[in-house]
Amino acid sequence: MSQERDVTRLVRSWIREDQHESADRILGMVLDRLDTTPQRRSWWPGRRSNRMNTYAKLIVAAAAVLVVAFAGFQLLPRSGGVGGEPTIAQSPSPTLLASGNFHLKGAAVELDATRDGSDVTGVMTVDDSGPHFTADLECTRTTPGGMIIIGGVARDSTSDYAPDGTRVAITLKPGSPMTGTFHFENPDPPAATCLEFIESVTDAMQAPVQDPIEGNIELRP
Amino acid sequence: MDVDLVERAQRGDKLAFSLLAGAIADRFLAVARRILRDQDLAEDATQQALLAIWQNLPQLRDPGRFEAWSYRLLVHACYTEGRKERRWIPNLRLLPVEESAATDDLSSVVDREQLERGFRRLSIDHRAVVVLYHYLDKPLDEIASILEIPVGTAHSRLHHAMRGLRAALEADLRPTAREAS
Repeated sequence: MSQERDVTRLVRSWIREDQHESADRILGMVLDRLDTTPQRRSWWPGRRSNRMNTYAKLIVAAAAVLVVAFAGFQLLPRSGGVGGEPTIAQSPSPTLLASGNFHLKGAAVELDATRDGSDVTGVMTVDDSGPHFTADLECTRTTPGGMIIIGGVARDSTSDYAPDGTRVAITLKPGSPMTGTFHFENPDPPAATCLEFIESVTDAMQAPVQDPIEGNIELRP
Repeated sequence: MDVDLVERAQRGDKLAFSLLAGAIADRFLAVARRILRDQDLAEDATQQALLAIWQNLPQLRDPGRFEAWSYRLLVHACYTEGRKERRWIPNLRLLPVEESAATDDLSSVVDREQLERGFRRLSIDHRAVVVLYHYLDKPLDEIASILEIPVGTAHSRLHHAMRGLRAALEADLRPTAREAS
């Protein structure tokens, strides 16, 4: 035990060795870069007082279920009866990209995305018990760091940060736990395409703000 | 940390941020140097972390959690710089040591070299826990919160790291013991 204390004492002493050096030069460089380094938008502007009532929530939930059901119906194999028309094989065929109900950054998320190459169909609804929006999903890419980014266009929005018609994205990083965050379009200048928008999202800028995902999600990168 | 200052910086107040950054920059550099054991990498990590704080401050929901959140960004920057270390390891230079400050507690230069070697063999994950615990005196639950890992994982990382450092010290003691016998 005394040997244990001795090692701890040595480590503490060694790691606290005095190495005075000021970070003034680094601080100066950082402050010089503030003007050219925009701050990133916060996720939500703060909870609003005019929360959705239960009735409205039910309508949103029912609408989400209908959208998911419709998307699922569209994906069902069509049968032309006995000896019906053969299915035309498409290459690559649409496959599930991500699906689930989970919480991310305090918001309830319903995600259903099917991919065909970099094209995506499906919807994502995000609700923070106040500000909410639905995104029609359009595109995806995977970063070199293995992060999956799914982008789309917001509609039915009450969020100041995802007005109708602007681009939004969710980033998902597989792992234990899986982590994610949201990304909103900087309107000045707006991205010309969905892919251009999600190309601007990099591993380096997203990693510090990824939060753990709580709930169920199936992800097939 | 002054919550009002954090909130002002969140709203884009550059003066508030400069005061905030000025209050933490020296400590950040000291922590980064201890994790990375390289002055140049530590300076890069500190710069990267301070800029990340500025960029992401509006996303911090609870300004009262600024300190833990900012250390998380610093450790993340150390991970990024640590990856460079693996590529550039032949170019690493040892940190200068001020002898006078060390002689009281560390029994010999050999101990220091063994600890340096043992510490460098640890992953950044393990180094970060050792520095947060033994240098910043953070309790394990706070370290777990900073690193976003379970408390048990923080504990096992510290245990593993200390075992590695003990082995490094014992590796030096062993030949001496043989010589004595």
